[in-house]
Amino acid sequence: MPSGGTLALGKSSCGPGHTLLVRRTVRSGQRIDYPGNMVIMGDVNPGGEVVAGGHVIVMGALKGIVHAGAEGDEGAVVIAFDLRPTQLRIAGYIARPPDVEDKPSRQPEIARVQDGTVIIERYQPGGERRYLNSGNTTKEEEHDG
Amino acid sequence: MGEVIVITSGKGGVGKTTTTANLGTGLALLGKRVVMVDTDIGLRNLDVVLGLENRIVYDLVDVVEGRCRLKQALIKDKRLENLYLLPANQTRDKTAVTRHQMMDLCDQLKEDFDFVLIDCPAGIEMGFKNAIAGAEKAVVVTTPEVAAVRDADRIIGLLEAAEMEAPRLIINRVRPDMVRRGDMMDIDDMLEILAIDLLGVVPEDEMIVVSTNKGEPAILDKRSRAGQAYHNISRRLLGEEVPLLNLEGNEGIVAKLRKLFGLG
Repeated sequence: MPSGGTLALGKSSCGPGHTLLVRRTVRSGQRIDYPGNMVIMGDVNPGGEVVAGGHVIVMGALKGIVHAGAEGDEGAVVIAFDLRPTQLRIAGYIARPPDVEDKPSRQPEIARVQDGTVIIERYQPGGERRYLNSGNTTKEEEHDG
Repeated sequence: MGEVIVITSGKGGVGKTTTTANLGTGLALLGKRVVMVDTDIGLRNLDVVLGLENRIVYDLVDVVEGRCRLKQALIKDKRLENLYLLPANQTRDKTAVTRHQMMDLCDQLKEDFDFVLIDCPAGIEMGFKNAIAGAEKAVVVTTPEVAAVRDADRIIGLLEAAEMEAPRLIINRVRPDMVRRGDMMDIDDMLEILAIDLLGVVPEDEMIVVSTNKGEPAILDKRSRAGQAYHNISRRLLGEEVPLLNLEGNEGIVAKLRKLFGLG
């Protein structure tokens, strides 16, 4: 992938029910677009952008911009080990952190839409079954950057 | 109808973005309606320096490509009512906009604002050409270093070739103690080489690092020497006659006493 480019995969190799595994850090100026779910084994640095049609899971620090459910799926969630995004979008909702920095939570958190607002809470293993749509996790794909 | 001023330097790291942020804020503090445009596509910084990064939804490229209206992409400053930012895109490159698109954009912006400040990328290639396309006036930023002055000279030549109004100079990061010892180029040396009008001199100030990292322009901090210099420059941009900042103002009490007794 070019250092400052956009990675968008052709529709033939992926779909809304697929999951993209990204095994690197998404750096400033890089953007990954995928119609399905996305799992990132690395960080998303400030200035980096990840956009997914489904859920986004970051196995690292999420400090850039994330957009889950980009095609309008309000049921999409964002989970990160360290959830401190510059901006977090789910479907048509946009949230940003307060201007006064609060303490980092030091534990995985989940962001989702509830009653028309984006809420962020501690991630509890298994708890996601309440809101994750199981239909979105049928097939897996791998991509190395 | 407003003025479109490009802030440029040729060399990177001399303080174009810091200058843009501070002058934009300074002019807004003086009651003007100001918009700052970041044209450093792919390496945007102005939003970070202003602490507005997390408000960006649309950017310059979205506007020129018609994905949003100009008004939707303008971000209102979190401190000042009459200050706006049009951010650059971070994932594309300089070829994402053309000179004509920039000219149209500047024409639209100056109808609505008193000042349009354009933060130019380093270099003399496409990014620079786009940034100056819609501007009527230019401010050249340099530091007291041979390489920076050399690049500023090159830029002034290019601005003259583009038939822009005579640019004005800001000398940034001056250290009066080093100038006095003869270790740093002094202001007259630089003016002799560049032969353009001096708009202001900004002293080196550690608070700039703090303020840039915090996303709060130094001009908002009354204690910052660089902030005072930027405040003076803002007033000069409005046509006021303001004497140059006394760069020796932060010298120690011993030096002041020595001077008093004629020993300095």
